Amino acid sequence: MADKKVLVVDDEIHIVHVVAIKLRNNGFEVISANNGAEAFELACSEKPDIIVTDYQMPVMSGLEFVTKLRGNEATKDIPVILLTARSFAIDDSTKDELQISECLSKPFSPKELLRSIEDILYHKAVMQEN
Amino acid sequence: MRLERNLYMAVTSVAAISLLVVGFVGRRNPGFGTGWSGSANILFACCAVGSAGVIVLCLYWVRFVEAITSITNLLKQNKLPAVKSEGGLRSFGMTKINELSRAICERFAGCSGSNLALEKQVNDVQIKIQLAQRQKRNTEAIIYSIRDAVVVVDEFDRLLMANEAAGKLFNFDFKRSQQKPISEVITSSDGKHKEFVDFLRQSRQSKVRASRREIVLNVPEENSEGKAGKTFDSIVSCVYDDKEQVCGIVAVLHDITREKEISQMKNDFVSHVSHELKTPLASISAYSEMLIDGEAKDGQTAKEFYAVIQSQAKRLNRLIEDILNISRIESGLIKVEKKPISLTILIEEQFQMIKSYAEEKNISVTWGDVGQKPIVFDQVYADKDMISQVVVNLLSNAVKYTPAKGSIKVKTDVDEGAGVIRVSVTDTGVGIPESELKHVFDKFYRVEANKNMAKGTGLGLNLVKQIVEKVHNGKVFVTSKVGQGSTFGFELPLATADVAGAVS
Repeated sequence: MADKKVLVVDDEIHIVHVVAIKLRNNGFEVISANNGAEAFELACSEKPDIIVTDYQMPVMSGLEFVTKLRGNEATKDIPVILLTARSFAIDDSTKDELQISECLSKPFSPKELLRSIEDILYHKAVMQEN
Repeated sequence: MRLERNLYMAVTSVAAISLLVVGFVGRRNPGFGTGWSGSANILFACCAVGSAGVIVLCLYWVRFVEAITSITNLLKQNKLPAVKSEGGLRSFGMTKINELSRAICERFAGCSGSNLALEKQVNDVQIKIQLAQRQKRNTEAIIYSIRDAVVVVDEFDRLLMANEAAGKLFNFDFKRSQQKPISEVITSSDGKHKEFVDFLRQSRQSKVRASRREIVLNVPEENSEGKAGKTFDSIVSCVYDDKEQVCGIVAVLHDITREKEISQMKNDFVSHVSHELKTPLASISAYSEMLIDGEAKDGQTAKEFYAVIQSQAKRLNRLIEDILNISRIESGLIKVEKKPISLTILIEEQFQMIKSYAEEKNISVTWGDVGQKPIVFDQVYADKDMISQVVVNLLSNAVKYTPAKGSIKVKTDVDEGAGVIRVSVTDTGVGIPESELKHVFDKFYRVEANKNMAKGTGLGLNLVKQIVEKVHNGKVFVTSKVGQGSTFGFELPLATADVAGAVS
């Protein structure tokens, strides 16, 4: 996974920091943003392999950010993992509609997050090979 | 008159019988009346006149008896109108008279009984009418004293009764609208009131004893000319007659707008607080796991992780303290330590702390009109920690809702006339819509338009209000214009020698 780029989006700087360390320690390249608007610009310019984003953020929420991603040709297929402190905030239909690969509730385990990222990227790679 | 006529008849009878006896005796005894000239003729005349008198009398008595018999029969058949007792008739001692007398007495007794029963019935009806009238007045009093809107209609959907609240809600005058079809009385241009009228009709037609529906109506706002959508819990009950047919409808509309707002605020609070609690908890949990898993590659990184855990634990504690403080102030259980303090010194401490935070966001912070700290010697009698909390909350809110390159100005004024010291924090931030200004100090309230600008629980300003007004008898204030900025502030009573003495 050394060549894989992950975009981590959260307004909580400590969360971005801890996720970045975990991923970097496991060979990922990490870029980060503090809100949805910043993240969208970064996603368009950097084209990450996967995005980990918080749900509730100032300026632009996680859902608005993902909606915008899906409406953009360059970013519409990027897998997204949503981190949320409100486990009931998103229903299955929204999850399917926005093609959200996984929702993780806060507090989350960095190990679990890493495993999810690896699984999603593995499946994506298999799909592309086929 | 009757007595005289009877006497006259008796005398006439005696005279007629006497003449008949004299005539008879004279004719049988040839010596009787000798010496009278023409005695034979006189005796014959006596016989004739006496006989005629007796016949006439007999005819009179036969007719009299027939009349009495006829009256008796009529009385027995209950056809004769009531007559008064005729005491003179009893003296005849005749059977018919007795019968007549008895019949008349029975008739009177019957009439008297009927009259009593009739009088009782009339009394009963009058009592029932009085009870019904009293019940109606009681019902009206109950309906008029209810704060909820109450509307009563009959089986033809005509307005029977309504209280003042209903008149105000649907904008009609009850006295002028009584007996009018409800669809003519309750009307609105937006068609919202029609939903209520339809609900009444449907309830009557369905004959269901009671139905309930939430209805949103546009009603005139208090102290304003505008209208606001309010939610009403409307309960409609059918009134049934003796044959179980619906003869009316009673509708009660209870305004649940505030309840719904509070419920929504509680849900929002739980949601916000859980988010606010989970965020530091997420950091604590993640950094702990990283430490356990040996992800901190060196001592410096490990130290950094421990520091994050500690700072997030403190953050968690502050949030819990805020919630508990509000709860303690509201319940009057908070421990207050009031002392004479200088607001200048207190603001100075918080000002320096917030200044570095604001400068990170490229926001300028000044104190006083010319940017110089005013020297205020006046003191307030206050709990230092609590007032520090107030100042921090106002300053941090100003920084949170002011975009980069904006400015924040802190001002202190002493109003000696009013005996207060006033502190205000003015920013060039996003501002608050006027309709939301009255709610900004409410617990858990967050301005909808600015929610995404910064995180928060909606507790900070409520805590400010509680500390200033409930604990220190002061007053909070706010003015704002969308796009131009806001001024939040508070005033506290100046500490006088009397107050200081009384407290110490």
